[in-house]
Amino acid sequence: MRQFRKLWQITRKDLLVMGKDRGSWIVLLLTPLLIIMVASFALGPAFSGELKSSLLYTNLDQGGVGKQLVDGLREVEGLELVEGTEAECQALASGDTKYKTCMLIPTGFSSKILTGSNTGLQVYVDPSDNASRPFMVGMIDGAASRLSGMVNSVKVSVVEVMKFAPEAELPVVASDAAQTAVEQMNQDPPVAVEITNAGAAADVNMFDTQAPGYSVMFLLFGVMLGAEGLLEERDKGTLGRLLVAPVAKSSILGGKLVAQFMIAMVQMTILFGVGHFVFGMHLGNSIPGLILMIVMTAFTATSFGILLASLVKTRRQATSVGTLVIILMSALGGSWWPLSIEPEFMQKLGHLTINAWALDGMNALILEGANMQDILVDAAALFIYGCVCFLVGIKMFKFRNA
Amino acid sequence: MPLVAAENLVKKYDDLTAVDGVSFTIEEGQIFGFLGPNGAGKSTTISMLSTYLPPTSGDAVIDGISVTREANKVRNIIGVVPQDIALYPTLTAIQNLRFYGKMYDMGGESLERRCQELLELVELWDRRDSRLEQFSGGMKRRINMAAGLLHHPRFLLLDEPTVGVDPQSREHIFETIFKIRDSGTTILYTSHYMEEVELLCDYIAIMDRGKLVASGTLKELLSVLGEGGVIELEVAPTGCSEKLEADISRQQGVTSVKHQDGRLVIFSDNSARSLPPVLKVLEEMRCDVIHLEIFTPNLEKLFIHLTGKELRE
Repeated sequence: MRQFRKLWQITRKDLLVMGKDRGSWIVLLLTPLLIIMVASFALGPAFSGELKSSLLYTNLDQGGVGKQLVDGLREVEGLELVEGTEAECQALASGDTKYKTCMLIPTGFSSKILTGSNTGLQVYVDPSDNASRPFMVGMIDGAASRLSGMVNSVKVSVVEVMKFAPEAELPVVASDAAQTAVEQMNQDPPVAVEITNAGAAADVNMFDTQAPGYSVMFLLFGVMLGAEGLLEERDKGTLGRLLVAPVAKSSILGGKLVAQFMIAMVQMTILFGVGHFVFGMHLGNSIPGLILMIVMTAFTATSFGILLASLVKTRRQATSVGTLVIILMSALGGSWWPLSIEPEFMQKLGHLTINAWALDGMNALILEGANMQDILVDAAALFIYGCVCFLVGIKMFKFRNA
Repeated sequence: MPLVAAENLVKKYDDLTAVDGVSFTIEEGQIFGFLGPNGAGKSTTISMLSTYLPPTSGDAVIDGISVTREANKVRNIIGVVPQDIALYPTLTAIQNLRFYGKMYDMGGESLERRCQELLELVELWDRRDSRLEQFSGGMKRRINMAAGLLHHPRFLLLDEPTVGVDPQSREHIFETIFKIRDSGTTILYTSHYMEEVELLCDYIAIMDRGKLVASGTLKELLSVLGEGGVIELEVAPTGCSEKLEADISRQQGVTSVKHQDGRLVIFSDNSARSLPPVLKVLEEMRCDVIHLEIFTPNLEKLFIHLTGKELRE
């Protein structure tokens, strides 16, 4: 009991010391808040589907099919159509325009469609634009496929009609059928694709996608400061002074870990709280689930801190090694971009990090509306991860300088 | 019965023997001084007595309790003032003391009273609510000392408590040490400043290269040098015979001659009687004397006599 009291006194002292250290609070709170804001405003739309891609088009067609095609593309979510000239379209190849893709509808496009002749769309792309090109080309390709499908259907229909009404005039029938088909192009298609958000998440906003990743990264930077603080106590003799007092080593380390864990919890709570109350970040449908993920992430990060302190010899090493490891973990673990866009082997590699497990759970809760049961595997993985770091860390930590 | 008895303490780090078979006893109420140059093994010896480091072999008993077998019990009766300022700079003086007091199971009114007593003892009660980082080096050292006294230790270990302090603060620290001694606390004081040990300590042990080279009261130790004083002379580097040292050592009353930093340190049982024959030798050998000085015996000269080197080395 006495040792527990001493453990708590060490925790209180660490909280008091930390509370007076303004520099640490800048790292723990101000920096992550600023980075999250910048990242959210800069990248949030790309990851939350709010991003609009602009497609330049030039319609040289005199008939209605070209217009129908443009109207159909206007309906595509996230796509903005901007009309330009043929010269603007061609200038894209030399990089002289702000647009990355241009669709050119050639002269006679409608008449060729309506008479059943083959025709084509010319698409100019910026060769350096790897990000939006697949989306743009996909959209145009999709619209062209629908047109091609309808033309083929018309051809088949006309052949069938002519079997039963051989007296009919073929070009007239074909043209009428094609006209009708094109008019139907932008009506409800027979096969509709209905997109539903997985789970029961509300609409995602930019903070939802960015805040968890950066919060976990700065949580790790926070525990790195804790590791440095522990090594500082060893270097400056305060740890030694405790060792010659009737205080168990477990109370000394335990007190420091509890303090670090509490600081990590406060940090995460404030970051998510500011995100929610100031910037409207969603917290998902399971607050207990989110609390569980925060607790487990804070525990694992704290254990990572003691492991870091046990593996390095000096504070400078803790800073340099810690920064390197945290940046690597953040990149690998999905703090900066969604893991889902990475190749499969990178996703597996990413799950060697705290970030990946923490973000799997948090993103499931915040972005997909998952419930507590859905994130138990992630929470358990974090717990095991934290226990391993904790046990190895306390086993290897040297209370005295070599 | 002595309060502290160290028996053949040894501390080894791989190939280095930091403390090599040190034995001594400290009587209750005594200020026991450990004198020696940096790296002599003083701090390592203190670390073993304070239970911070386990000895490689040997043991020490404090008030009948073994530091190797019952370290936790020992920790309750000793106070340690480390060489480093082992305090939290962003906390105030009283916050630091309260924290360490709680580590010794103190609390409530008694802890508050003790904090006040000690802050008054080190004359910093008025600055109790100032952050330590705002204190001078000497003031920090006084708080450092107070933190080691919170739980009324029977045995206080002071490891170079005056390193880096101004003369005024040093005086303050000395006054405090005498007050602590007068309150009945036994003190082990380490220093590489001879004057401090001479002034403060009732009993002195001189350490060099991990070993005790001499111990006793100041009077006992200096008696090794005799009462005749010490002649120190420096001669011009050229034109003087290499036999000078041997010839001087044969003169009347000269007990030993040591070479030190290009100077000859001549120990004799009567420097007044030994000086004329020494000067005669110098004249015969056509040595140009640059500097000549006669000292009364002191610990510095004793250390040279015992080890052939200066305390500052």
